[in-house]
Amino acid sequence: MLKYAFRRILGMIPMLFLTSIVVFSLAKLMPGDSLSGEIDPRNTDPKYIADMREKLGYNDPLPQQYFHWIGNFVQGDFGKSTRFKIPAAEVIGERIPNTLLLGLSSILITYILAFLMGSYSGRKPYTLGDNIIGGLNYLGLSIPSFVAGVFAIFLFSFTLGWFPSNGSIDIGVTEGTLDYWLSRLHHVFLPAVVLGLLSTASYTQFLRNDIIENSRKDFVRTARAKGTPERKIYNVHILRNSMIPLITFLGFDLVAIISGAIITETIFTYPGLGQLFLDSVGTRDYPVLMTLTMLFSFLTLIGNLVADVFYGIVDPRIRLE
Amino acid sequence: MKIRSIFMLVALILVLSAFLAACSGGEKTGSKEENGEKSSESAGQPQDGGTLVYALDSAPEGKFNYSFYGNATDAYVINFFDENLIDYDENLKAKPHIASWKTEDNKVFDFEIKQGVKWQNDDELSVKDWEFALMVVADKDYEGPRFDNVRNIEGAQDYHDGKATEISGIKVVDDYHIQITFDKARVNNLENLWTYPLNRTEFKGMAVKDMMSSKQVRTKPVGLGPFKVTKIVPGESVEMERFDDYFGGKPHIEKVVIKVIDPSLSVGELKNGTLDMTSFHPSIIDQVKALDNVNTITYPGVSYYYVGFKLGNWDGKKNVMDEPKYQEKKLREAMYYAINREEWVKAFFNGVGKPVNRPIPSNHWIAADNKDLEQYEYDPEKAKKLLDEAGYKDVNGDGFREDPKGKKFVINFSHYSTSNPTFESRAKALTQYWEEVGLRSKLTMTDVNLYYEMLEKADKSIEVFFAGWETGADPDPTPLWGSEALWNYPRWVNADSDKLLDEALDISIVGTDSEKRKDLYVKWQKLFMKELPVLPIAELEETMAVSKRVHEVTFDVSGMNRPNEWWIQQ
Repeated sequence: MLKYAFRRILGMIPMLFLTSIVVFSLAKLMPGDSLSGEIDPRNTDPKYIADMREKLGYNDPLPQQYFHWIGNFVQGDFGKSTRFKIPAAEVIGERIPNTLLLGLSSILITYILAFLMGSYSGRKPYTLGDNIIGGLNYLGLSIPSFVAGVFAIFLFSFTLGWFPSNGSIDIGVTEGTLDYWLSRLHHVFLPAVVLGLLSTASYTQFLRNDIIENSRKDFVRTARAKGTPERKIYNVHILRNSMIPLITFLGFDLVAIISGAIITETIFTYPGLGQLFLDSVGTRDYPVLMTLTMLFSFLTLIGNLVADVFYGIVDPRIRLE
Repeated sequence: MKIRSIFMLVALILVLSAFLAACSGGEKTGSKEENGEKSSESAGQPQDGGTLVYALDSAPEGKFNYSFYGNATDAYVINFFDENLIDYDENLKAKPHIASWKTEDNKVFDFEIKQGVKWQNDDELSVKDWEFALMVVADKDYEGPRFDNVRNIEGAQDYHDGKATEISGIKVVDDYHIQITFDKARVNNLENLWTYPLNRTEFKGMAVKDMMSSKQVRTKPVGLGPFKVTKIVPGESVEMERFDDYFGGKPHIEKVVIKVIDPSLSVGELKNGTLDMTSFHPSIIDQVKALDNVNTITYPGVSYYYVGFKLGNWDGKKNVMDEPKYQEKKLREAMYYAINREEWVKAFFNGVGKPVNRPIPSNHWIAADNKDLEQYEYDPEKAKKLLDEAGYKDVNGDGFREDPKGKKFVINFSHYSTSNPTFESRAKALTQYWEEVGLRSKLTMTDVNLYYEMLEKADKSIEVFFAGWETGADPDPTPLWGSEALWNYPRWVNADSDKLLDEALDISIVGTDSEKRKDLYVKWQKLFMKELPVLPIAELEETMAVSKRVHEVTFDVSGMNRPNEWWIQQ
């Protein structure tokens, strides 16, 4: 398996190289550059803008700009954000803790809910409970997140006043205290719920369908015939087999945790990577934008690898050579 | 099927949040009662204490220093904790603040600053701090956009190019007196001068290229203003407390919290009393007005919008007026008469804009009086007459006019597009006015970034365009309408205009007499409105929401009064 993983990692290098070309060309194809928003007759003059364009190398031919960027990139120098004027790595580093907290808590919510609802529906298919869960799932699938986010803010922040509507932390609290962490959880809760419930529907339905399918298989009939208790059949025999398709999602989830949620973060004014990504596109902050895209691509590849390795662990029939 | 598709279960939020409600429910009820008490009391003497919550609509870049900041969001934050040495009155004329000045010839200025003005790190303000700021901005490693405000000091360019070790035009007399000499006498030397000091001890020994990313700029800024920064959560919020030694008098408010709040949330936050002050987009003014705990304030702004015509091209150094399509002045006049600006502004600016008759905001001291200018009131009949006179007649009977040569004539109108949904309809409305007088019009919406790039390069595909400018304290319109200006988007070249603009800046003609200068600008505005290279459409007022518990906040065209005068009803 180690050999397999190693081979896959080697295979990623050309993939990432190609991705970098696509990322770079797409970023440069966007109209305008990071200076076009700065035109302001009060305090800039065309000469300053021309000087800065020259200094930032925007006038060089594109291939030269690309090799300059990728050369620094592989050496770990991700460039300096044109907007914040500090290294892109630092800008991203500032946001990562927020995004990790949001991503992890939303996925936790998804897993717990999907597991509970999915195994209930799978065990008692075509009952009233199953139909209610199914109905709720499809209702949820049909509501877009920006509607749900605004609705949640209106209800829980403005009308009921239970949760704050914006930010990641109450500025008054001292860092490191218990209050600090409570305040962070308090702020992350609402966006995490909105985000976490997004993926619940599909997880639930996948789990349910697999459980139903597996419960009709021969080995289940054999187990029943042997007199194995029903609980053991579901929790051991069926559940383990039903988990396999869900592993595929795990790969995606790894990226989802980091990449944040552009829409949800923007609605909740939650300073995470999703919001940063959107702002960087808007202000043509190439170094941050390209570093983020490369980070997301890299994690997608890693996520797929992790999923493949996990298949082998959960299902010994799948052999990795 | 993609897992990350953005959908969800609303019903489950209800269930889930219901059992998590108990933990935070109690605390909030308390603060709501408090709010009720606050608004029931009536205004009286200033009271000390309280926390003011101020909202920004987008994340600041974190360059919290006047010498390094780039965008308006950062400037809002800096305004609370730092100070300009000079101030501007309600007509945007400079007036003494910390510094006062004397000049004989507008070339050599003698500045004197107040004694005993304290920095927030307990240093006393000296003119050496100002000298330091000027040296930093003129440094070759300086990456901010302000060198333009220092360039005109004698010797600054040499210092910038590394030819001199100091700026010859700056002479420090003692801690409170400084003499600044410009390379030549100009009427607007003072308005263009960089008048923000930089604390010497904070930046001691730091290389200029490291300053912009230093903690003194980003997380631990020090200023002269009424509040001092105590904590910054990057990209999210800033906490400040009262600075007792503020030179303008001890502030009343105890604490200021500046937060980034998505504009879609500001109405709800204002209603809840969790937000005290914010500027907002005019499109939500009716919702803000409906709140009974908030005052909606509009005050004159310095921005205006216009419809421009592509009259020429940019040859790399100057404008050349060589595009024939819109050279006929009667056509431009007719298009102006055809627009019902009153109705249009009312429909699309939510009552916070008004029609403007000149390329200068009407609150600026150089603005010409309306009675001196051609008004171009809405008059479709006159528009039709003008078009007939100029030979734009319908010769093939399709209901639309052809050009004087009988060829098909289409106004290709461009407008920038952002996420704002009203832009397309307001642009469409303009084309409809023109169609009503028989001019066939076609609208193109272009992404805003691309749009301004195309305008700057004088792209062929933009013929008639919508654009806007925001002006500053210096009234000189040369950077926008001079024939060598890159931002003269219509590429309008007029010798008389250049002559008037030059004369208004020429010290040997206007001296230090601002009336003489204004006369020249009025003449220029008359000429501009006669020539009509662009059709000024509307000027926009600034909109601000202020909670009724905050008192003594006043606004004029130069912005808010200093926050030390504000107080909160306890």
